[in-house]
Amino acid sequence: MSLLDKNNNDKNADNNCPTGTCPPIKESDEHIIKLSEGSGGKEMHRLISEIRKRLDVKTEWTNSDDDSAVTKIGDKYFFFTTDSYIVTPIFFPGGDIGKISFCGTVNDLVVQGAKPLGISLSIVLEEGFKKNDLFKIIDSINEMSKMTNIPIVTGDTKVMENKSVDGIIINTSGIGIGDFVLDKKLEETDVIIVSGGIGEHGAALLAKRFEIETELITDSKPLVDELHSVNTLIKQAKDITRGGLASVLNEIASKNEVQFHIIEENVPLLQEVRALTNVLGIDAYNIACEGRFVCISSKQNAATVLSKLKKFNALSAVIGEVKNGKGVIVQTRFGTKVLSTPSGSIVPRIC
Amino acid sequence: MEYVDKIREIAKDMGEVRIMEVCGGHTNTIMKYGIRDILPSNIKLISGPGCPVCVTSQYDIDCMIELALNGVKVSTYGDMINVPGTKMSLRDAQAKGADIKTIYSIDQILKEPDRVFFAVGFETTTPMTAKLLNHNIKVFSAHKLIPPAMRVLISEMHIDGFIDPGHVSTIIGSDIWNELNIPVPQVIAGFKPESLVKSIYVLLELIKNKEVKIINEYPEVVLPQGNMIARKLIDKNMKSYDADWRGIGIIKDSGLIPRNPELDARIIYKDMLKKVVTKENIECRCGEIVRGLLEPKQCKLFGKKCTPDNPLGACMVSESEGACAIAYKYGRSLSE
Repeated sequence: MSLLDKNNNDKNADNNCPTGTCPPIKESDEHIIKLSEGSGGKEMHRLISEIRKRLDVKTEWTNSDDDSAVTKIGDKYFFFTTDSYIVTPIFFPGGDIGKISFCGTVNDLVVQGAKPLGISLSIVLEEGFKKNDLFKIIDSINEMSKMTNIPIVTGDTKVMENKSVDGIIINTSGIGIGDFVLDKKLEETDVIIVSGGIGEHGAALLAKRFEIETELITDSKPLVDELHSVNTLIKQAKDITRGGLASVLNEIASKNEVQFHIIEENVPLLQEVRALTNVLGIDAYNIACEGRFVCISSKQNAATVLSKLKKFNALSAVIGEVKNGKGVIVQTRFGTKVLSTPSGSIVPRIC
Repeated sequence: MEYVDKIREIAKDMGEVRIMEVCGGHTNTIMKYGIRDILPSNIKLISGPGCPVCVTSQYDIDCMIELALNGVKVSTYGDMINVPGTKMSLRDAQAKGADIKTIYSIDQILKEPDRVFFAVGFETTTPMTAKLLNHNIKVFSAHKLIPPAMRVLISEMHIDGFIDPGHVSTIIGSDIWNELNIPVPQVIAGFKPESLVKSIYVLLELIKNKEVKIINEYPEVVLPQGNMIARKLIDKNMKSYDADWRGIGIIKDSGLIPRNPELDARIIYKDMLKKVVTKENIECRCGEIVRGLLEPKQCKLFGKKCTPDNPLGACMVSESEGACAIAYKYGRSLSE
């Protein structure tokens, strides 16, 4: 029997809605989830919005597609975020899955102005995973936790049968507290700042995956101190993750209904990232960072913000400005182009 | 920007000039840097067939899907798995449980010699396939050769000059272009925007002076004789055949297949492949787009039913080489 026949047999799933009030499920829809629906681009956003539509719970929490959900208790804001981490390879130059699963969640809190209070750690392991590798991962989480003074406060561990997961999946959630939510209104002439060279994490991973020798290491790091130093001076911030700079710029521009005008020559890019992405035929704008953010500041605060950020990363730079309109426009050395949210999965060119 | 000014100057007293950039990599540079913006309106750049994903026939895609669904372990380059076949793509087959591995380097295949390699690409990627054959890896080859396709194009449409592919020329060399008797000027160009702009200027000079010759503007990697080691390796392991190009049809001696029939998956699995029936989407204009007869925006599916998320034709798949995917990524106006 071919795989094709096998899958045609089980298309009639039972409707298992407990209350009988669930939105209808189209039995005729045979869509199956594809890898590209998890890679940070348009397809993933579509899937998330479909999931959110079905979750129509009334709540005091707000979450306008930002990194954390927020609610007010007394005169304080509480922030809550969660993320699952899978990465190939698990260990890569400058970090491992443990480091990014701690930093990613912490960063989702701090970009909204929160002080992280505690992080949860859930681990799903594949039977056969090396205990020493697990301990290396735990140690790197511990190192980050000590460095930032943010404790791991709860957790869970599961082991699954061989081949039912690829090595290890980590989920972390985090809660934070703050006096304000970093979400001020953007205006024309505001400036767009990026906190360091882009794409270093993605490029380091691609190099390792394709066995290309480079000196590149991941940019993964907690952004606590960087954000803390500027969060009263800026209007909004968002950490760059999957989908890269292109995705983040489009998300901020679209949420705020403004246009971003980016000067390509000002976008900081290490020579090695440029070379590697050129070799692979991949756009540096589309690849992941794990320790960079984009922030928007008023024109008058821009110089102060930049000088503070430069203490953490000399490549931080003003890359463009906010205009009326929509979308993200990039001025290259020659002409202009539209920078879209990446779609599909990122794959190297063939020739 | 010296050459931008020179292009504007030389174009002043020229009529409409139609230049084809054969290689998808050049199309990418042109769109990525907004080079069309800076060209005078009488200089038209036409994207050619140089996207390996785009010209692979749908029948070949269907064959690989059939093999994969029947339990044959397959490996191929990343973009190939998103190309729509008649019923599904290789990615869909993968989601149904077929064992398909995307690779970047042939070293990954040498570690798993039991996989059938779905080989695509032009002269640039052929040496790697030839090396696999040298190691007795089974191959389903959809390799194509660029010069025969250029000869077909020049015979059916008006082109004033070609920007020849840089990476293809690295393998075949610059001398060979002289032997091909293509009756218009050609410039072999590199992929940096400055180098491409200079090449456009050099080509315009040749066109204006009616000089039918080939200039190598990418001498740092393109040698007159090409890469002899690669050419010998190809010749030892592969032979030419009449390949089927999506949108163009069968072109004599325009493809390469394994010399050894025991390594040729088309022969090994010929019984399994008898069942394959291919039906192309008649609304998709990919065929005319790879021939430069239509621009992506002229296809009514473009950006509507057909997007990189859900490509209906092969040209919408490769963001680095496919004319439609590149146009979708960089070439849209914000109102679209």
